[in-house]
Amino acid sequence: MNAQLLTCDVLVVGAGPAGLAAAAAARESGADVICIDLFARAGGQYTMQPAAPDSPFHAAPQVAQGREAIAHCQALGVRMLLEAEIFWAEPGFIIFAHQKGDAITVRAKTVVAATGGMERPIPFEGWTLPGVISAGAAQRLVKANGTRPGENIVLAGTGPFLFAVADTFAKAEIPLRAYVERQRAGLGTVDLFISHPSRLGEALGLLRSLRATGAHRYTGHGIIAALGQERVEAVRIAPLGQDGLPDRSRAFTIDNVDCLCVGHGFQPVIDFTSLLKAAHRHDDALGGWYCVTDPRTQATDVAGLFAAGETAGIGGFRPARLSGRLAGLHAAQAAGRVLPHYGIDKLHREMIQARAFAARLAQLFPFPAHIADALPDHELVCRCEDVSRAQIKAAIADGARDAFSVKMWTRAGMGPCQGRVCGSGLAHLVASELGKPAAEAGYNRPHMPLRPVPLAAAEAALALADLPHGVET
Amino acid sequence: MSESLPKAADVVVVGGGVVGAAVARQMAKDGLKTVLLEAKAFGGAVSGASLACLGTHMHNIEELPILIEACALWQSLSEELGNSFEYNRSGQLRFILKPEDVAIAERWITGERAAGLAPELLSPKQAQEIEPLLTGPIHAATWAPDSATVNPFLAVRALLADGKRAGVMAFAETPVERLLLDGERVTGVKTSRSDISAGHIVLAAGPWSAKVARSIGLTLPIVARQAQCLASVRQPPSIRRVIGACESAGGVESGYTQIQQAASGQILFNTVMAPQGTPTGAEDRINEVPRRFVRDSIAMLTTLFPSLANILMLRSWVRFEGVTPDDRFMAGHLQDGLLIAAGDNGTGFTRALFLAQLISRAARAATDPRDGFYNPLRFAGGKP
Ligand SMILES: Cc1cc2nc3c(=O)[nH]c(=O)nc-3n(C[C@H](O)[C@H](O)[C@H](O)COP(=O)(O)OP(=O)(O)OC[C@H]3O[C@@H](n4cnc5c(N)ncnc54)[C@H](O)[C@@H]3O)c2cc1C
Ligand SMILES: Cc1cc2nc3c(=O)[nH]c(=O)nc-3n(C[C@H](O)[C@H](O)[C@H](O)COP(=O)(O)OP(=O)(O)OC[C@H]3O[C@@H](n4cnc5c(N)ncnc54)[C@H](O)[C@@H]3O)c2cc1C
Repeated sequence: MNAQLLTCDVLVVGAGPAGLAAAAAARESGADVICIDLFARAGGQYTMQPAAPDSPFHAAPQVAQGREAIAHCQALGVRMLLEAEIFWAEPGFIIFAHQKGDAITVRAKTVVAATGGMERPIPFEGWTLPGVISAGAAQRLVKANGTRPGENIVLAGTGPFLFAVADTFAKAEIPLRAYVERQRAGLGTVDLFISHPSRLGEALGLLRSLRATGAHRYTGHGIIAALGQERVEAVRIAPLGQDGLPDRSRAFTIDNVDCLCVGHGFQPVIDFTSLLKAAHRHDDALGGWYCVTDPRTQATDVAGLFAAGETAGIGGFRPARLSGRLAGLHAAQAAGRVLPHYGIDKLHREMIQARAFAARLAQLFPFPAHIADALPDHELVCRCEDVSRAQIKAAIADGARDAFSVKMWTRAGMGPCQGRVCGSGLAHLVASELGKPAAEAGYNRPHMPLRPVPLAAAEAALALADLPHGVET
Repeated sequence: MSESLPKAADVVVVGGGVVGAAVARQMAKDGLKTVLLEAKAFGGAVSGASLACLGTHMHNIEELPILIEACALWQSLSEELGNSFEYNRSGQLRFILKPEDVAIAERWITGERAAGLAPELLSPKQAQEIEPLLTGPIHAATWAPDSATVNPFLAVRALLADGKRAGVMAFAETPVERLLLDGERVTGVKTSRSDISAGHIVLAAGPWSAKVARSIGLTLPIVARQAQCLASVRQPPSIRRVIGACESAGGVESGYTQIQQAASGQILFNTVMAPQGTPTGAEDRINEVPRRFVRDSIAMLTTLFPSLANILMLRSWVRFEGVTPDDRFMAGHLQDGLLIAAGDNGTGFTRALFLAQLISRAARAATDPRDGFYNPLRFAGGKP
């Protein structure tokens, strides 16, 4: 096993649109920059880079944007560490990671957290059946790996991201059986595009793609259940009633399905900024818990720590790229480089505008946490530890009064994902069972290690931090 | 959904860790109207962070008769409640790394054998027969077959549920803000919600007991000491016993190790080679494990069990034990109307059920010659 100790001025965590923009900006300011990412290829979710050289996606504009951003970083001399997972960080800053079994420790003067977003799963009947996958995973399969997730695919949930996934299917020429969206396009949508006409072309393009998939469109409908024995075979849906839950009296089944892709929106990935004890707040329109930043500098309340992109609140590609650039420039400045005299105001203005659009779009697709209330008792909430809703109710009957106690008494959230997948659903179910607000309870505090780490690599990375300053191995 | 608190009770127990839950259950079983108040979550403080090994080995020779009974109480509780908390009589193996520590081990073995127990000294080969993956370079080991483990979460849950069946009224998220006095007599508690008057108040708030006592100007010699642990992702059955470090020349200061595999399959391990001071108020903050602790714990686990060198670490946690000057619980009457069962010194799971009986005896003015061992007035010349 190798162990490397690296030093830099600015460490950028995440190589999506925000991270790449931050790394380039910091490097342009003369800072020595390292950019680290979990995946084997930089690009992140939106500008994801396909693995196969002959993938049809290379021609897609998002992929091209990603390719250019990566090439730009490389030309500038940003050091990229890919397939590297951070497992711990200390203020000041020391960042501990492992890369394919090897240990890496980075000492950085300042840090930009551009850790992106992740899906906000909600448990529903049948959600753990093989063949039921998240919309984000479906997109990654198709776009990055060129894998077709099924023959008879239903795409369901809510939010603009579903459109983007449909677009991915269209570009890969994979037909969709059905497209199930909770919202009906209404006046709100018209209003939004009247105030942001530049975005209309893009939206119409996505609509065309959806049509090209051949999907039967059910708007104003929600999922009741994924049905099947060994794997998903059918999907039961219904139009939504007054309470926002599917009206079971009008339910019907889409048969012969072998893949259900579900997405209800994203939440910021805040484990890294939480570990460094930055302030976080809850706002449903920003995806739940997000890292609080100064909108001009992207600085968090921890000196030297900046956050950009989805980490600072879900907003999509444009605010990510703009906030990334702002964060990179200010992180370089905080590391002793000079801030450019011009351009900051304009960046800031564009960022505010892009965020405003994203916020209004988000309002049109509210996160339907309450659909978990319809979960049958026998259904699993925590899939790592096989904990059902009935077990959660039993813990509450025994005196558990918060998600923390339910976790201790059922092991829900103590599996390999440490609550990353089930945490928000669990918090919601516990809160609604007890008649409490869910938001606060849903905060999943990270501890060492952020992600599972091999013992030997962890030991080696931690040992490097004890070497004297000025050493780079 | 917050059920309202009763206005009066025979007993109010402050703190819902394993000690408070056990005390409340015992009081109710002995016929007293009992209220249990927990500031946050039942068993969420050190009790929920515990390796919960119950044993007699290498604790205190003088205390052995109590420890033997304390362990027997756990065994019969598990039988009574249908082993709802994963009671597992795994036995305990303490490894010896240095030849000079064999003499210390032999002294313990002699003392424990005199009390009727059956610990043994093992060669590395014999130790490996008991624990096959223990292939690291040990010099010798001790073996105590009577040690057992329980699932710490489910043990608290079971005590609470059984206590409720006996009549305990238990309230989570209800911190006691201060004790109420009538002259010299403690007459009740003021909580975040309402006051409760009671004939007996029992402080079972771990390291926080000192803070609650301060509300009536009482100074207790209990301080918080940081303790922590690491857990791996679930593994196939690999470690069968509780693995500990034998007491070494130099005492706790020269190192401490505990390793075991939980029923969940997770390997739990901790090694403290360089104890660090605990800053005041640390128990009220969110803390991270020290870097040095993580390194030492991994190094010790993988030295003893080389085949586990590449397993994945999943989680760490930090909690706080209550520590007294002589490493012994404070249990019994502190003052008129006020009892205490705190100062666990890091092995409170073992004694919890015995202390519950002791406190119930004290409240009912019954006596047992063994109870004096934990006399809370032993410091400061017998005065509170
Ligand atoms: C066998 C075993 C396996 C475990 N495996 C896991 C695992 O895989 N994943 C996991 O998350 N945990 C695991 N733990 C549980 C661990 O002990 C903690 O309970 C858990 O990590 C949650 O607490 P925290 O450290 O995340 O809380 P923190 O983020 O530390 O926040 C809680 C804070 O409140 C304080 N506090 C004080 N009193 C209370 C109280 N009564 N109730 C609640 N909080 C209190 C705590 O000290 C702490 O500072 C395991 C424990 C054992 C014994
Ligand atoms: C890693 C580790 C391993 C361990 N291994 C073992 C072992 O193998 N064997 C063993 O016997 N012991 C072991 N222990 C120690 C054991 O867990 C403790 O001794 C025991 O849990 C103490 O229980 P308690 O009820 O006194 O304390 P706690 O669990 O701390 O309970 C005190 C409770 O009081 C509550 N409280 C505080 N203030 C107030 C207030 N004002 N009002 C109301 N409630 C309040 C707290 O929230 C808390 O829940 C271990 C501990 C750790 C951390």
